Amino acid sequence: MHEYSMTVSLVNAVLREAKKKNSKKVLEVHLSVGSLSLLAHEQLKFWYKVLGKGTILEGSNLRISVEEGEVECEDCGYKGPIRYEERLYDHLFFPTVSCPRCGSFVKVVKGRECIIKSIKMVI
Amino acid sequence: MREVIVAEEGEILDVELSENLLKMNEELASKNRELLKKHGIKSVEIMGSIGSGKTSLIAEMVKRLKEKYRIGFIAGDLTTTIDSDRISKNGVDVVQINTGKECHLDANLVMKALERLDLEALDLLFIENVGNLICPAEFRLGSEKRVVVVSITEGPFMVVKHPFIFMEADVAVINKIDLAEAMGIEVSKLEKDALTINPRIKVVKTNCRTGGGIPKVIEALGL
Repeated sequence: MHEYSMTVSLVNAVLREAKKKNSKKVLEVHLSVGSLSLLAHEQLKFWYKVLGKGTILEGSNLRISVEEGEVECEDCGYKGPIRYEERLYDHLFFPTVSCPRCGSFVKVVKGRECIIKSIKMVI
Repeated sequence: MREVIVAEEGEILDVELSENLLKMNEELASKNRELLKKHGIKSVEIMGSIGSGKTSLIAEMVKRLKEKYRIGFIAGDLTTTIDSDRISKNGVDVVQINTGKECHLDANLVMKALERLDLEALDLLFIENVGNLICPAEFRLGSEKRVVVVSITEGPFMVVKHPFIFMEADVAVINKIDLAEAMGIEVSKLEKDALTINPRIKVVKTNCRTGGGIPKVIEALGL
């Protein structure tokens, strides 16, 4: 829903980094998006293309990788992938904050971020 | 004409970064939380879909709590002041945030609203988010507790369709409980869905039009 504002931040951050290095052209940006964030990849790419037009980002590639959700359980010490609930008869598949091992509430420790990992640029 | 620069081998630089674009909101939310804590203000954010009963819930809670606490209210809406007018009738200190076209409040907008309130004169703050079950889950505002309101008229799949907001909330209010039979909805199923997503969530059934269940919401929030 807020891919536009997120991409504005992304483009600004990339332009700032490029300026620091006196780069004249950005080739690729690697973005890591958490599986529990609500950002749609297609829309991020669309806005990246639109917002990059007329800047040194134009024509560059936005590479998006997914960081899977990870949780931690205070009750049993479980640390690992988040549990998904599957209800195939309703075509439902959704994440939960219930521990895959003991069923207690778990804290999300990974998977909510949207991180710029690296920028490939020409200097 | 635009100048085109073609990359040449040996001149490409790979800059490693680790910049979280969602971090800024998280940091501002922490600041809001600290500010409220410093002033000893309890804070509750109310999220939920359009027409689910967020404002009615707040109005009912204010009615019961206004002798106990000095209450403030931050109302988020697109363009109107309908909600803040409803709450300010009860002598509550109100700040309206009109987001224009934005679908959710964020920590920055709440920070600005907090500047407008006399924090010394408050013990309890309600923040009503814009009617939306998606975006508010992503943007924490800094409140101590988060409540999500859904209602019977939104159908039997409202909870499982929006797992993210139920993962985030401390209390889930199922409103318009009096319409369950007419709508053919099994309330226990909605309750079970919320607990499947979040085993720690406290589920309370209400009828905000008559005030039914409101004391239980207050209890679940530790107010």
